[in-house]
Amino acid sequence: MNLERIPNEEKLQLCRRYYLGGFAFLPFLWLVNVMWFFKEAFLKPAYTEQPQLKSYVKKSAMGLLLWVAVLTTWITIFQHFRARWGEVGDYLSFTIPLGTA
Amino acid sequence: MRKMEDLISINYVKLLIIALFYTCVSCSSVEKKIYVELNDTVPCVRLLNATHQIGCQSSMSGDTGVLHVLESEEDLDWILNTGPHPPYMIVMETAFFNRSVMLRMKNSSRVSGVAVIVSKTGLAENFSPHTTCPNQNTGVYSASYGPELANCNVTAWNPLGNGLSYEDFSFPVFALKDENQTQVIRKCYEEHNLRVNGSAPQYPLCAMQLFSHMHAVTDTVTCMRRTDLQNRFSINPEVMCDPLSDFNVWSSTRPLNNSAKGHKANESVVIAATRLDGRSFFWEEAPAAEGTVSGIVTLLAAVHALQPVTQQAPPPRNIFFTFFQGEAFDYIGSSKMVYDMERNEFVIDLDNVHSMLEIGQVGLRSGRNLWMHSDPVSLTNSSVMDEVTKMTDNMQSIADGLHISLAKLNVTQPLPPSSLQRFLRVRPIPGLVLADHQTSFINRYYESVYDDAENLNVSYPPNLSPDEQLVFETEEAKSLAEVATLVARSLYKQAGGEERNLNNITADPRIVAQLLYGFLIQKNNSWFRSLLPPEVTKKGANSILSSGPPQFYIGVGPRNIGPVHSVTRFVQYIMANLTGAATNLTETQCQNPESKDLFSYFWVSGPSSVNSSGEPFCVRAPVRLAKAVSPAFERMEYGSRDYSTWTESRWKSIRARVFLVASRELEMLTLGVGVAVLLLSLMVTYFISSKADLLFSSARETPTTTY
Amino acid sequence: MTLAVFFGCAFIAFGPAFSLFVFTIVKDPLRIIILIAGAFFWLLSLLLSSLVWFIAVKACNGVQDPTLHRALLIFGVFFSVLLQEVFRFAYYRLLRKANEGLASISDEDGLDISVRQMAYVAGLGFGIMSGAFSMINILSDSLGPGTVGIFGDSQYYFVTAALMTLALTLLHTFWGVVFFEGCEKSRWWVIAAVVALHLLVAGLSLLNPLYEASLPPVYGITLLMAVWAFFSSGGSLHNLNTLCTRRKAEEESAQ
Repeated sequence: MNLERIPNEEKLQLCRRYYLGGFAFLPFLWLVNVMWFFKEAFLKPAYTEQPQLKSYVKKSAMGLLLWVAVLTTWITIFQHFRARWGEVGDYLSFTIPLGTA
Repeated sequence: MRKMEDLISINYVKLLIIALFYTCVSCSSVEKKIYVELNDTVPCVRLLNATHQIGCQSSMSGDTGVLHVLESEEDLDWILNTGPHPPYMIVMETAFFNRSVMLRMKNSSRVSGVAVIVSKTGLAENFSPHTTCPNQNTGVYSASYGPELANCNVTAWNPLGNGLSYEDFSFPVFALKDENQTQVIRKCYEEHNLRVNGSAPQYPLCAMQLFSHMHAVTDTVTCMRRTDLQNRFSINPEVMCDPLSDFNVWSSTRPLNNSAKGHKANESVVIAATRLDGRSFFWEEAPAAEGTVSGIVTLLAAVHALQPVTQQAPPPRNIFFTFFQGEAFDYIGSSKMVYDMERNEFVIDLDNVHSMLEIGQVGLRSGRNLWMHSDPVSLTNSSVMDEVTKMTDNMQSIADGLHISLAKLNVTQPLPPSSLQRFLRVRPIPGLVLADHQTSFINRYYESVYDDAENLNVSYPPNLSPDEQLVFETEEAKSLAEVATLVARSLYKQAGGEERNLNNITADPRIVAQLLYGFLIQKNNSWFRSLLPPEVTKKGANSILSSGPPQFYIGVGPRNIGPVHSVTRFVQYIMANLTGAATNLTETQCQNPESKDLFSYFWVSGPSSVNSSGEPFCVRAPVRLAKAVSPAFERMEYGSRDYSTWTESRWKSIRARVFLVASRELEMLTLGVGVAVLLLSLMVTYFISSKADLLFSSARETPTTTY
Repeated sequence: MTLAVFFGCAFIAFGPAFSLFVFTIVKDPLRIIILIAGAFFWLLSLLLSSLVWFIAVKACNGVQDPTLHRALLIFGVFFSVLLQEVFRFAYYRLLRKANEGLASISDEDGLDISVRQMAYVAGLGFGIMSGAFSMINILSDSLGPGTVGIFGDSQYYFVTAALMTLALTLLHTFWGVVFFEGCEKSRWWVIAAVVALHLLVAGLSLLNPLYEASLPPVYGITLLMAVWAFFSSGGSLHNLNTLCTRRKAEEESAQ
């Protein structure tokens, strides 16, 4: 899809849909949102829908950051303590590496 | 050199083949030029129990190190401290394979693996990698049963044990058995790695890589849990470890109805038991001559000696022969049988058991001495005391007639590690353990690769053909035949047989000699072949009848040579042939007999003569196999303290290879040249392509070439 | 650790081919098509010669005579070389036929591709493919941990193999240029010379592992072919001169 050829209302609509979709535990939608609409929201000359678009992009970015932070923390903790947790660690694992505690 | 010449010229041709046979990439001729695969190696693998992991393992992609042959203390210092090329892969002479050296290796980060040259040269006076107190925690003695006897407090049965087999090594340890391959390694080492006047050798250096990556980790609890989890959730489940398991072999002088389990009315049996397995530091490398074979041979010879008399003058009690598998690993076989007896899932129950005579290590009698071990705790029970006293008196009188010096031990010493202990855990059964040691084991190589024919003094005069060796009655054979006679007569007497028949019971030294030859020297002999089914003998080396002596490590169930361990098979068929009756059933009738309640039917090859293979026939005998897997796995109690929890880890590949490694400088030089070539060509190409119009300007002016 | 050797050899063997690809091929889709098709034609020749090799080996199976194996190898090498040249010619015919079709695919109108350029691109396609096939296996083994030499072979094996591949890739490119030129102008002696040189290089590779005997002549031939290809693709001393003088003039004017 070429963003250039879409009217501004539809852009806003699209951005809003991606923003709301992200709440369904789909942080990648927010990532896509930020990547796609960053230019539209911050670099393009002002237009009527821009403030709203801007807020969606900002919120998406914040949500994304939160996700990144939470996931990084969890992954770090999990990798570090999995062996020590023993049984619980195994139950939380999808694949268990062979030959390591 | 001729082969090498073909090598690079293959720039053109080599890959032609590969285009058609892509699989050949893995065996490319370049690889053949780099690596020497060592095929005849024996690894040390990881075993796990409820709380520990023992054994060795490499990393996933194998552990590599510069070779160093450990021949002196000086080498040890070089390896552990001063050598400039760590990590080292150590090739060790037998003499250095002991606890202190191995622990120094274990604690050093400069060691990437060990390969032990297993040979008799330089062998220490004694070597036992087992613990000083075998099966310490699963015997009968504990805090609640003779606490003062627990943990070998009174007698350390295997004082020479250094516990090496029960250490956990984080690097691979292999045994090199093949002399040729040892030579390959030595040659490579001497050509490339030898120090000249104490200075470091120059690159390229000879190195070795060992692969033995183990899947299981921590303990049986963890690995069974993970295996279960994987089976439940994973798309492609991966089993990480398997319980050690196989089969017990049992038989009885009067057939017992095998399809009716539980208590047998009017049945009282005397159990004659011995163990079927042994172990060593290395996987599937357990000759167990004195540790196990002496007992197996004695009991089999006794079974044979009893056969005619028990047919003509059957004693009032039944004699129940049993060979327990997996006893080296916390009594797998006996604990399973006792467990089944308790739950009425075995052919008899504990009420049917009158008494028990177990044969321990009996092969190394100094001065014809034997000792009867009994359990001091159960002797406090007067009825047990009476029965045991009767038993010992009987045996002593029989021994006197045989000129064997048989002594009863005083009642302060506990039982040595024995299957009887597992029976005593549930019931005070009167029982004796017959052994050649008064206190600690005489065996100097208990549960090691050196407990072989030589340790048992089985040797033959030179210039004997294999068939002559098979029937040659060594001193050891005669000695064990005496013990077998003692055992057979004692059992007959214990079963209530009449005194006057005793002299008709004599073990045949020739049978003992054949058994010793088959179990210690060469299992693929004419006698074993005649006893086994024709399909086994026809398959030859691919079946259980490969060359050399059988190995007594229990293993993990379904094997590539069939579901049953080779030793178990041998004992089963030898028993069937020694005690069974030939029938005139055909092969199909033999394999699907009308009733299997009282007898098993065996289709055997029959003795073959020089010019004809034997005529197969059907043997009927009350010989049975009974599953020997620890009840802990049946009850899914992987952390059990009462039952054996030993499992063997799985692995993908076990291999070893020797090759050269290049110096860091050469590698960096190659990279440098590569980068230079890349940058240079980038620059030149950029320059030429930017000036292409100028350089090749005439191209467009030539009329024929434009379109 | 031997990752260094892997990358070193990969850069040596494929660095020039890579830079040629980046600076001269990648911009034009038509050239990419010609390159890939050229590589494909080389693969076809490989397939055929491997079939022949397979049959020959099967026929001689069981014979343990080393001289026979040697003879078989030499036969295989020369047969393969001839097949490659036959396919080069076939590819030339195909390109000539398909020329107009190709031109119509070409994105930018008016900027057609000349036969000389086609010759260069096709030659590079041959070179890249043959280089890849002679090197990839060796590269995978160069990852280690071992290096050649336990049987007394030279430890420079990987580097020499990479250098050989480099020469081969370049040679194929130059041969392509010269060969097409010969076809274009119906100068059969040119084609014969290319085939003869290809046979010579293949024969030289049979001298291995005497790298001193095989590598320098191969590089000599490469240099010769480079010069020849330069002239046959429209280069001349005059052009070189102009370039140099212009350079000088630029430098002077810069001063």
